[in-house]
Amino acid sequence: MDITFLLNGETVTAQAAPTVTLLDWLRTERGLNGTKEGCNEGDCGACTVMVTDASGARSLNACILFMGQLAGKAVRTVEGIAGPDGALHPVQQAMVDHHGSQCGFCTPGFVVSMATAHLNGRSDHDDQLAGNLCRCTGYAPIVRAAKAAADAPVPVWMRDTAPDAKTPHAPTSADDLAAWYLDHPNGTLIAGATDVGLWVTKQFRDLGDVAFLHACTDLQTIDVTDNAIRFGAGVTMTQVLDAVAADYPSYAAMIRRYGSVQVRNAATIGGNIANGSPIGDNPPALIALGATLHLRRGDALRDVALQDYFLAYGKQDRQPGEFVTGVTIPRGRDAHRVYKLSKRFDQDISAVCGGFDVTVSDGNVTAACIAFGGMAGVPKRAAAVEAALIGQPWNAQTIADALPAFAADFEPLSDMRASAAYRLEAAQNMLQRYFADLSGVSVNVREVSA
Amino acid sequence: MNAHLKMDKPDDRNRLDDMAQGLLGTAMDRPEGPLKVTGTATYAHEAHQPGMLHGVLVRATIARGTLDGVEAAAVEKMPGVRKVMWGDKFLRNPAQGTANKAPVQGSSEIYYIGQPVALVVADSFEAARHGAQSLELRMTAGTAVPDAKADGVAVERPEKKQSSMGDLKAAMQDAAFTVDQRYTTPGHNSAPMEPHSAIAWWDGDQLTLHASNQMLKYNVNEVADSLGIDPENVHLLAPYVGGGFGSKLGISPDAVAAALAAKELGVPVSVMLTRQQVFENVMRRSETAQDFQLAADKDGVLRGIGHTARVSQLPDESFAEPVTQATPFLYKGENRETHMEIVRVNQTCAGSVRAPGEAVGLTALEIAMDELAVATGIDPVELRKRNIPDRSPGEDKPFSSHKLAEALDDGAAIFGWADRKKGATDGEWLIGYGMSSAARVNMIGESHARVTLNPDGTLLIETDMTDIGTGTYAILTQIAGEMLGVPQDRIETRLGDSKLPKSAGSGGSWGASSAGSSVYMACEKLRQTIAAKLNCDEGDLTLKDGTATFANKQTPLTDLVGDAPMVVEGAIEPGKTQKDFRQATFGSFFCEVGVNSVTGEVRLRRMHGSFAAGRILNAKTARSQCLGGMTFGIGMALTEELIQDTRDGHLVNHDLAEYHIPVNADVPQLSVNFIAERDPYANPMQAKGIGELGICGAGAAIINAIYDATGVRVRDLPATMDKILPGLPDV
Repeated sequence: MDITFLLNGETVTAQAAPTVTLLDWLRTERGLNGTKEGCNEGDCGACTVMVTDASGARSLNACILFMGQLAGKAVRTVEGIAGPDGALHPVQQAMVDHHGSQCGFCTPGFVVSMATAHLNGRSDHDDQLAGNLCRCTGYAPIVRAAKAAADAPVPVWMRDTAPDAKTPHAPTSADDLAAWYLDHPNGTLIAGATDVGLWVTKQFRDLGDVAFLHACTDLQTIDVTDNAIRFGAGVTMTQVLDAVAADYPSYAAMIRRYGSVQVRNAATIGGNIANGSPIGDNPPALIALGATLHLRRGDALRDVALQDYFLAYGKQDRQPGEFVTGVTIPRGRDAHRVYKLSKRFDQDISAVCGGFDVTVSDGNVTAACIAFGGMAGVPKRAAAVEAALIGQPWNAQTIADALPAFAADFEPLSDMRASAAYRLEAAQNMLQRYFADLSGVSVNVREVSA
Repeated sequence: MNAHLKMDKPDDRNRLDDMAQGLLGTAMDRPEGPLKVTGTATYAHEAHQPGMLHGVLVRATIARGTLDGVEAAAVEKMPGVRKVMWGDKFLRNPAQGTANKAPVQGSSEIYYIGQPVALVVADSFEAARHGAQSLELRMTAGTAVPDAKADGVAVERPEKKQSSMGDLKAAMQDAAFTVDQRYTTPGHNSAPMEPHSAIAWWDGDQLTLHASNQMLKYNVNEVADSLGIDPENVHLLAPYVGGGFGSKLGISPDAVAAALAAKELGVPVSVMLTRQQVFENVMRRSETAQDFQLAADKDGVLRGIGHTARVSQLPDESFAEPVTQATPFLYKGENRETHMEIVRVNQTCAGSVRAPGEAVGLTALEIAMDELAVATGIDPVELRKRNIPDRSPGEDKPFSSHKLAEALDDGAAIFGWADRKKGATDGEWLIGYGMSSAARVNMIGESHARVTLNPDGTLLIETDMTDIGTGTYAILTQIAGEMLGVPQDRIETRLGDSKLPKSAGSGGSWGASSAGSSVYMACEKLRQTIAAKLNCDEGDLTLKDGTATFANKQTPLTDLVGDAPMVVEGAIEPGKTQKDFRQATFGSFFCEVGVNSVTGEVRLRRMHGSFAAGRILNAKTARSQCLGGMTFGIGMALTEELIQDTRDGHLVNHDLAEYHIPVNADVPQLSVNFIAERDPYANPMQAKGIGELGICGAGAAIINAIYDATGVRVRDLPATMDKILPGLPDV
């Protein structure tokens, strides 16, 4: 099919199957070899490109970005970061000056991540570069380069305007999508492709009929009222992070470690939930908030409590032809906390992720909603622990008395992320941390620095 | 003209200190930096050729057995597929470093899961991949030994790898303090960011191969021997290499597969390993089990050291991780037992990963030394200083130069070791401090380079040496510019082409010293030639900014060269100074960690390294090598671990999602300082290798800091949270 987009400032029309990745197309069809393949699964960031659309410019991993997602967007690869006359972009010059490039293979990805952050005026360099791996430098020279370039003006050539073009296979509204999905109940919906991309690049699956969701703008809204925030299914995790930062800083801090910038820029909240991963970090956070999931099949709408959506490992409460339209969370749950625990700080699947929301009135627990990922085949509530808390005074003794209940709720697995015994103890400790956290003890789970 | 030096005696003239250009040792930017930041440096998979086909390797799915055939016909009918190939010449294992001949070959015998056994070639990468996935293999399973730790595995104890001195048993009995512990390290992967790949094409019987290799001199012979052709007919190109860390010392299966397919089909063929194939097909660092016995007198002085290391390897491979390499020379002790044991397993070939030997062996020794410091109550820095020997005690050789004491003192001062607070906390985090020594053997290999001084005053440096990110382009430019007084912008350095003079290649921390010395030799000869034209001694000649100065008379170089370029091939080879002296680099690591009392997570808060490695050729690239090495050490201490399925040896975490190299957030600001040193025994530049020193022992400093913070002694690396939490007090 024909896909029209802007590539390094030039309008191009690519003839490509919709599930060819941008990385493969750039390197094999276009001869643009600056964008590197380091892992082909969104882990290393060597293939980072900048994609601009109406919502702005963002960095994405080209190895799990399908051509079908690009129509009407502007793509800038490392070859388009220097000026048309060859002038180096400030971040490129800074990378040379600060010895941020050694073997040079990760460099193009870093340069594009840095240039995108620079364009967007971001100064949180550590976060912006968390999705790029380097095996040579130890990162500090790269971060120094990002800092050094921060105050330079954005070169004029970096500002792209996306052309007007439409993707075949892309419904433009929830209505369109509902009709298409009824007709193609075995079809594959592709939102950010951070997971579906791996079905192609790792599992070599033929996706059959596909629908790209990026044109369904009515699924990409965030509606904030006094009492609730409703996220359309197509809202990216980057947007979720920004939207919850004020209400739920602990949830936002967890999302900060959720994938990488490139992954969060692509991944959608609806896609994350619909896939039903037992170790996804969103569900425990959202279940603890009492989130409601909105589903649609044809014209039929229904709501389900998120905790009830996950039936068993790999099985969710979703009918053929039915899709997630959004998720709603309440506001004002000030006692909500999320703790992610993984072997590596960034870019790692959790060993345990816990979401907590305990309501205390007059010193007694009146309600508790506690959920964990990584402790069972599905994201799961800790019903016995909750029961042990409710009706009891909110104090250290109650917490201590509730700890044995974890064993009734969970029989976690031992795997390479952590042992079963560790998971159980860490989950128990998280409840104690939660108690300390609400009591005003500083909990800094991020990193420590002298 | 030629200039050749065999390093039979020390060169303490320190001639480079007399030069005037002021380029060497500075933090000069790497000349190829602009190419790398614009994505225009050409790596192995980027020399695309017209009509190029794509090949994808097919992996064996059993751990031992035979490949009896493949269902080629069905796949060859698939759209776009041109050919299915397998046979005697396909590589079974990659070549070990400096092998210089073909590694074990042949598709028919299967020795590990993931072994490449066939190649599918197609018009597009996607079609080749589809064909490779679809290819049915007819295999007969044999009996595999997939688990190195299983009961009853056969253990080899090669005679050459055992040594005894004095009576360790008696020393342990008589000792005032002892340590007797087992330490284990898991398998590691080099994980260079560039996956191995090759593009091959033939012109008659001439093969051109773009590949990702570290040591072209050896790699040419490995390719030629694998294909059964004359090495003269192999042209190997690797101008830019996206990291190696040992994994590209020898050729990998993609190179030979691409060459065979290009020959068969008469068109260029590319073969790129996927990241998963890099993990499965190239090299792993063996896991180790190391038993240490330390016997110390009442003052903490070692009277005996026992080190028995067990590693694993495929049958018939001679390489064994040289775990005990630094043990004979690092510390005192007249009673010694040093033993290596090898278990033969059906797993990916074990080979060189950055600093084979010391990376894991010294790390375990330095954890043991920390245990001795705890046992004796002696400060860990002081304990190490008390144990620095005058001669290498296990080898009875003098040291060429020895700066461990200086590195320990320097590191302690910069880090503020004396000011550390015992029992500090920061919220949930328990704070601790640790240190360790660094050491790595130093050597050179025979190396040649051609230096051309052109009539226009420009310089050209040519050698088949590679730059794998280490900074070769920069330092060779600096050495020649310094010696001949030519500014950087008039110097071109060409590397990574097997038609150029043959160097030692990149690996074993010997690349800069070896290739650099060959450039030095050529430049010294050029200086003599220029001096002769001015009728002066070379020693009285000053060369700077393209001008020769002698007796207050200035002559432009361009006036001295004449109409024809001056060309010298310089060469260096190791000699008696390498054999008769223990050459090594030394250093120290100091770090501060936080351990989370709720979860057992460890975060490194700061880390410093002080290193002595002879003359520093480029302040920036040398420092970067140390920063990168320390970052490997962080990975080794906290996250990196190959995990095999014990049932069939299958590598479970064969990708960057699950093999956890450190990310930005794992690496705090690291600091590095160099100790001034000139080692005249090393080479005429008095420089030593620096590419690996930063990893050697670095992990131990972190493990020791965890102990300081928590009282939990981790002896099985990496120190993941589930090994720490059970030892922490209740929340």
